[in-house]
Amino acid sequence: MATFLILAVVMIVGAVGVITLKQPVHAALALVGTLLTLAVTYVTLEAHFLAAIQVIVYAGAIMVLFLFVIMLLNIQGETPPAVLAWFRPLAYIVAVVAAAAIATTAFMEPRSLPDEVQIATALQGGGVEPIADVLFSDFLLAFQLVGVLLLTGIIGAVSLVQRKVVAVQEARADGATKELEHA
Amino acid sequence: MVATEYYVALSSILFAIGAVGVLTRRSAIMVFLSVELMLNAANLALVAFARQWSGAGSITALSGQTAVFIILALAAAEVAVGLGILVSIFRYRASTDVDALAEIRL
Repeated sequence: MATFLILAVVMIVGAVGVITLKQPVHAALALVGTLLTLAVTYVTLEAHFLAAIQVIVYAGAIMVLFLFVIMLLNIQGETPPAVLAWFRPLAYIVAVVAAAAIATTAFMEPRSLPDEVQIATALQGGGVEPIADVLFSDFLLAFQLVGVLLLTGIIGAVSLVQRKVVAVQEARADGATKELEHA
Repeated sequence: MVATEYYVALSSILFAIGAVGVLTRRSAIMVFLSVELMLNAANLALVAFARQWSGAGSITALSGQTAVFIILALAAAEVAVGLGILVSIFRYRASTDVDALAEIRL
């Protein structure tokens, strides 16, 4: 119960941060925090594979895409970002603490892993194999439709963002004639 | 073991926060972030229900988790298209304020 309460508090704080923070980058990072907490919650719900996928795909790929677009468009929030004086020292402290924690862990007495049968039973519920069994039998149609959806989505995204070829050629032609006039 | 009700309650809180974000934020990218929050709230509920039914045989038990897997792929496609639309809007207007985008209103 304690684990759940801690996770719930962190998750709700992150979620409130997403909808209240002024800077889009801060809101995106708050969402990353929420998603990582959600991954830990998946572990407590015996969904180990989903927890890994959540970190890799959601907190990794999708949020990086978000941050990429925010920085590409250079969207500013409602107020200009404040330069915080205590930020740099805090960053150094965090770095030192993290390095010390990793170093201490490295030199700690190694604990023996539980035996293989125990691990296998613990991972029974949400491992790759049971999920693959369901995905490629009952959910086969959904799986294939998602494939089509992803293909359509990628083609749609590319055609939305791509500038018109004709316009680019005209711009180049204009540039060329101007250069000729200059010569 | 924490009861499933608590997870569903947490999921509903997250969903409500996401809905508030969608309705109150003006920047389109913030609306997108809130939509992601709502998707994840739904995922949490599905995973919690999957554990609730974990005694009911492999197919039933893991249907929830597999659905989450499919929603993840769907979210990736949605983000790709959504951010593409956002970039192309930004090119014409240099703004992502959703209140200003009212050209096709009758």
